[in-house]
Amino acid sequence: MIATDPASAQTDRQTTARFSSSAPAIRVEGLCKSFTVKHKKPGLLGSVQSLFKPNLSEMTAVQPIDFTVEQGEVLAFLGPNGAGKSTTIKMLTGILHPSAGYAEVLGFNPWQERTKLAFHIGSVFGQKSQLWYHLPPVDTFELMSRIYELPRHDYHKRRDDLIERFELGEFLETPVRKLSLGQRMRCEIAAALLHRPKIVFLDEPTIGLDVVVKHKIRDLIREMNREEGTTLFLTSHDAGDIEQLCKRAIVINHGQVILDDTVSNMKRLFLTHKTIHLKLQETPQGFDLPGVEVVKQKGAGLRLSVDTAKTSIEAVLAHIVNHHRLEDVTIQDPSMEEIITHIYAQKGKEG
Amino acid sequence: MDRPASVSAPDGQVGRKVQKYAAVGRITVRNNFAYIRSFLIRSWFLLVILFIFVQLWRVTFEGEGTSLIAGYSFEQIIWYLIFGEAIVLSSPRLPTKIEEEVKKGDVGYQLTRPMSYLLYHYFSFMGEAYVRVAVNLVLGGTLGVVLFGWPDFGFGWLGFLVVSIGSFTVLYVCYMMIALCAFWVEETKGLMFVFNKLVFTIGGMMLPLEFFPETMQTVARWLPFQAVTYFAAKSGVRFEWGAFGQMLLTQLLWIVVLSGLLVLVYRKGVSKLNVNGG
Repeated sequence: MIATDPASAQTDRQTTARFSSSAPAIRVEGLCKSFTVKHKKPGLLGSVQSLFKPNLSEMTAVQPIDFTVEQGEVLAFLGPNGAGKSTTIKMLTGILHPSAGYAEVLGFNPWQERTKLAFHIGSVFGQKSQLWYHLPPVDTFELMSRIYELPRHDYHKRRDDLIERFELGEFLETPVRKLSLGQRMRCEIAAALLHRPKIVFLDEPTIGLDVVVKHKIRDLIREMNREEGTTLFLTSHDAGDIEQLCKRAIVINHGQVILDDTVSNMKRLFLTHKTIHLKLQETPQGFDLPGVEVVKQKGAGLRLSVDTAKTSIEAVLAHIVNHHRLEDVTIQDPSMEEIITHIYAQKGKEG
Repeated sequence: MDRPASVSAPDGQVGRKVQKYAAVGRITVRNNFAYIRSFLIRSWFLLVILFIFVQLWRVTFEGEGTSLIAGYSFEQIIWYLIFGEAIVLSSPRLPTKIEEEVKKGDVGYQLTRPMSYLLYHYFSFMGEAYVRVAVNLVLGGTLGVVLFGWPDFGFGWLGFLVVSIGSFTVLYVCYMMIALCAFWVEETKGLMFVFNKLVFTIGGMMLPLEFFPETMQTVARWLPFQAVTYFAAKSGVRFEWGAFGQMLLTQLLWIVVLSGLLVLVYRKGVSKLNVNGG
């Protein structure tokens, strides 16, 4: 739930008024980043040589990329390790200066107006903590309220609201070092939301969490987007995060955008294989159908992979019903993980 | 798109900025209380150092057969060391901290907040330093009181306290400049080693500058290292209003010059920064 007191309602109205513009929350044009990398030959001699004659080369982390993110959108920004995701996020939050190109986040140039922009964005890096390790989370909340210059009354209301929504009450005064990873992550997200950011950058927010806690964190993220209209820029290797939270995905690899589409389109376009689990009444002799491959067989139980580009599921099922006595059948879409792997592989080849 | 309006109200902006950095100092103090036991244990090392110096200086004074050397009595020189060591041993290891922040990529969190990176670390540094200096002064002071009884420093205690603010500020600016090298080289231990040794020697930590040959004194007086330990320790044991004012002025001058340099280095560094961690 969201606070419904007059002060909050007023803030919400102001927020709506400010964002009445239809311009995107993030606009990126030809943004790129390269680093100078020093190469060193192995051994002591190599180390000495590199002191006097360093072997430098230019490494492109992000090639010129273009994209926009609309206000209130939940965008998945995907890519394998080293694809350039984090570098892009760091440029969008103003931490890194790009080598070339232009970006606008909430109307600010991130690297030139980093401090001004910082008032309106939040970030959660799953593998890093912004909570003070030896102190209870409430102390970090207090510090955040001062850093974001929140009026006291506003801060107390917002803090209490987040404590209720994120169910933080019971461990609010426990030192962070004694919290479980799930409890810590709820506190991390709450700390990032105290100042009502317009955009939240979430970098692997569910990494290392168990299924139940992941589910809880996703619910909270969804709620934040739905109730406050927060734009979410999510980076994750967890297919569940993307499937359950995002409507659109941008896939990046080798510093290039290789796909920018809705998650449902992505699934449809790259969902070229379906899996059929069969339980027959007798062990079949063979399964010779174009576009169908027997992935696994154990007695009368089979797992088939169907290439839907070559044959339809309907034709395969008709064949099965006509030639075998069926006990049970289930049809399964490939997991999001398989789809993403497929995109990386296919687009990599094209590249 | 339309820019969001500023979060903070136009009135009381300065107050909020002050409260922001005061909060950083406060939370650092609170956080350091968690380490106070381990710091207390480490601080026993101070007593070992002081014990060795007490023996050395006792022999020196006996050998000289005089009650004053370079204007300092045996008692004053030991208290000088207590104050000087308290400053040096209380200094947070800022370059190591920044180096870790850059290596682990935590610097990313600091830079996405609406605050000055340099001021954030300054207040954090001061918070940590003053928790430590309190512990070191209690330990070292106990030794001093046991050896010589309660000292009569007059305004010396106040002088030390005031000058120590300048001392830690100069130290912070120098440490931060070394630390920022981590934005380029990611390894600052060598520079730190050299800097600390200069503070120990021509900074007057081990010996008041009056003990040095004339030429050496002249060189030391033109360098910022004396503003770290010599000024604070001397203010404690031999407080004089004239010298006190001069020390504060010299510290201020160094703070202005070095801070200007620090801002330049920071601006250059932050544009070159390569934040690690994917």
